Amino acid sequence: MLALAALAPPARAQLSEDAVKAAFLPRFARYVAWPEAVRPQAQAPFHLCVIGQDPFRRLLEEAAGRELIDGHRVSVRRMANAEGAAGCHLAYVQGATPAETARLLVALRRQPVLTITDSRAGTPRGMIHFAVIERRVRFYIDEAAADALGISISSRLLALAVQVRQRPA
Amino acid sequence: MVNDRRLPVLLLSPFMIALPAGAASAQEWSSAIAQPDLSTLSIEELAQLPVQSASKREEPLSRAPTSLYVITGAEIQESSATSLPEALRLAPNLNVQRINAHDYAISARGFNGYESSNKLLVLLDGRSLYSTLHSGVFWDLRQPLLEDIQQIEVISGPGGTLYGPNAVNGVVNITTRDSRETLGGLVRGTYGTNERTLAARYGISLGESAAVRIYGNGFARDGLPDGLGPDVDDSISGYRIGFRSDAGIGRSTIMLQGEYFRNETDQRPGDNDRGGNLMVRWSRDLDGASAFQVQAYYDHFRRRFLGARDALETLDFEGQYSRSGGGGDLVAGIGVRTTRDEFTNTANIFGLTPMSRRLWILNAFVQNRFALTPELSLIAGVKVERSSLSGFELLPNLRIAWQPAPNHLVWAAVSRAVRTPSRVDRDLAGAGIIVRATDFRSEKLIAFEVGYRGQPAANVSVSVSLFYNLYDDIRTAEFIGTPLPAQLSNNLTGHTFGLEAWGNWQVLPWWRLGAGVSLLGKSFRLEPGTTDISGAAALGDDPNYQVMLRSSMTLLPNLALDVQLRAVDGLETPATRSYVEADARLGWMVTDRLELFAAGSNLVHRTHAESNDTDRAQLSERSAYIGTRLRF
Repeated sequence: MLALAALAPPARAQLSEDAVKAAFLPRFARYVAWPEAVRPQAQAPFHLCVIGQDPFRRLLEEAAGRELIDGHRVSVRRMANAEGAAGCHLAYVQGATPAETARLLVALRRQPVLTITDSRAGTPRGMIHFAVIERRVRFYIDEAAADALGISISSRLLALAVQVRQRPA
Repeated sequence: MVNDRRLPVLLLSPFMIALPAGAASAQEWSSAIAQPDLSTLSIEELAQLPVQSASKREEPLSRAPTSLYVITGAEIQESSATSLPEALRLAPNLNVQRINAHDYAISARGFNGYESSNKLLVLLDGRSLYSTLHSGVFWDLRQPLLEDIQQIEVISGPGGTLYGPNAVNGVVNITTRDSRETLGGLVRGTYGTNERTLAARYGISLGESAAVRIYGNGFARDGLPDGLGPDVDDSISGYRIGFRSDAGIGRSTIMLQGEYFRNETDQRPGDNDRGGNLMVRWSRDLDGASAFQVQAYYDHFRRRFLGARDALETLDFEGQYSRSGGGGDLVAGIGVRTTRDEFTNTANIFGLTPMSRRLWILNAFVQNRFALTPELSLIAGVKVERSSLSGFELLPNLRIAWQPAPNHLVWAAVSRAVRTPSRVDRDLAGAGIIVRATDFRSEKLIAFEVGYRGQPAANVSVSVSLFYNLYDDIRTAEFIGTPLPAQLSNNLTGHTFGLEAWGNWQVLPWWRLGAGVSLLGKSFRLEPGTTDISGAAALGDDPNYQVMLRSSMTLLPNLALDVQLRAVDGLETPATRSYVEADARLGWMVTDRLELFAAGSNLVHRTHAESNDTDRAQLSERSAYIGTRLRF
């Protein structure tokens, strides 16, 4: 019975939490600066990777398809684990269990990838951690973790965070 | 420390992996089509969008098949309003009559007046604010910190099955911000020609996903110039202190809030009001597609005025469950409320018999949204309500919503609603003059509505609703002796009809215009062979038209000018003149943290009459204030 529930499609025609999260994901690239070495070349896209579970599916392609950031498109890649994550600029990380999410995050922790997680999937947090608060999709930002990898997050994005773990002064 | 208490639902993931990643089902496809285009929104707007929610299913504005206007917290802060009733003037589907410095009469779709506006349900964070004494709202007891308001949903019409008792002509649903979004400090002060306010709030984070804010809010308002009512001192001052705390624990959210307030009115020496409340709410997301919420609150207030004393104690419990998927969205819930009141009056011979009484109000509802096709859905719901002063009332509601394109919605609804008897309706008595009406019945409404809401262009939004309301058993008073005594009865029957329309036009990125109009017609008659010695007082006195215009300009990146005009039809008995008035506010963000502002209300005339209440009405007057807001 539970399995059937999991297979049921999301509610139709609702402005779903997932749609709003999917709209945010490619948009984050606009408010983040990566180290020079990993920025996309001219004409090359930003890579938005979904590592592990994918709650968004089609929604993410649609949102990404509408983004154009300083001439760069956003392309979506999906992967089961962190092995192929080298080219990712952003990574939505959701393991089958919270423990697996934590393992995936550990595997990514030396790469300059903006990691994004969801409170629905458990407590392990990436640099950006979605939470639905008062029926709005909001997020926590770990600026310190991003800063340690040379990723800087714009003040406009920080201003929207519920809480920011600040980088050391 | 956050504990992970989620059910291991993700163990089901093998099934999800089995779905080819890119292959969306036909249903998902249609869902994607029906979604509004989010790519045009800024990240700030995305962060403000209500999403499919865990409780009472908050729908995106464009899809709610009802006459709904949403006042956002930002709009309140840009307006000249310094109190909740003044902020409600932003909603074109409400009629706000200022009676005097502390009283307001507020209604949707007619019946306005201090005593007759008894068909509105007002909720503050899910706590019901109408009084079981007379089914009206004592607005002077309700002074929330305006900066903490997330939004106010104003529904004109019965509001469906989902809201609690008394949602007959409208629902005002006020929600305050999650304490996790109000971290840090805020101080606001205003100084004006007839009012001073001072408010402060401080929010602190408690670990990773919990926070608490404490706040205090004080005001002192001068009396208004003498109007139709007796020339009494109607000045008022008061304060309120409170807190709200929210914590996310795994898939659960727990909210706890409490408040204490006190007002000094001094119409007679020693007149004052005080009260407080405590509320707890637990919501839990079950599996992403279903959720439940339970809440309980205790509320108490005591008013002392002109030789009368009115106390009310409320204990309320509500639970609800929602589920979406499988071709429908289901919401169901129950509510149990008990009140204990005490009303004594030394000013005249009228009082309540018995003086003190405990009442029970029970309700249960279920509503489902059936998706007939991707564009067409049917919403059917029913609520059962029962109070100590009424029998079982069955309140069905049927709505149809047709969304031919994501930015157009056409809807129609038919609903039944009742106002169950208040204590005054049943128990008002005065030796030899009026006797209790122990068989006073619920006032009944069958409402027919149609509406359109849409976004015909990217920068224009429009809503139009038409209604036809059939009422029966509306309150009257008749002689049952020779001639005395009199008794309250249910002998008025009739209908109202009208139109509500509003629109917003983002003319330029820095300039938004809004307009709203509401028109109302009423026709009532007495049951054959009956009389009404109150002169149809229960029908109130309503303007036939009300027009609003609003302009919001960002003149410079840190300078905003907000102007609102309203034209309101006069009242009939006794007659007041129609009036045109204007409010304006100029706000200057000196730095990110410091704002200075100047505002004026009722700028067109020195005084005007909004209410024709001969027992209470004073004149509204031109006023101005300067103020500052500091965040740290």
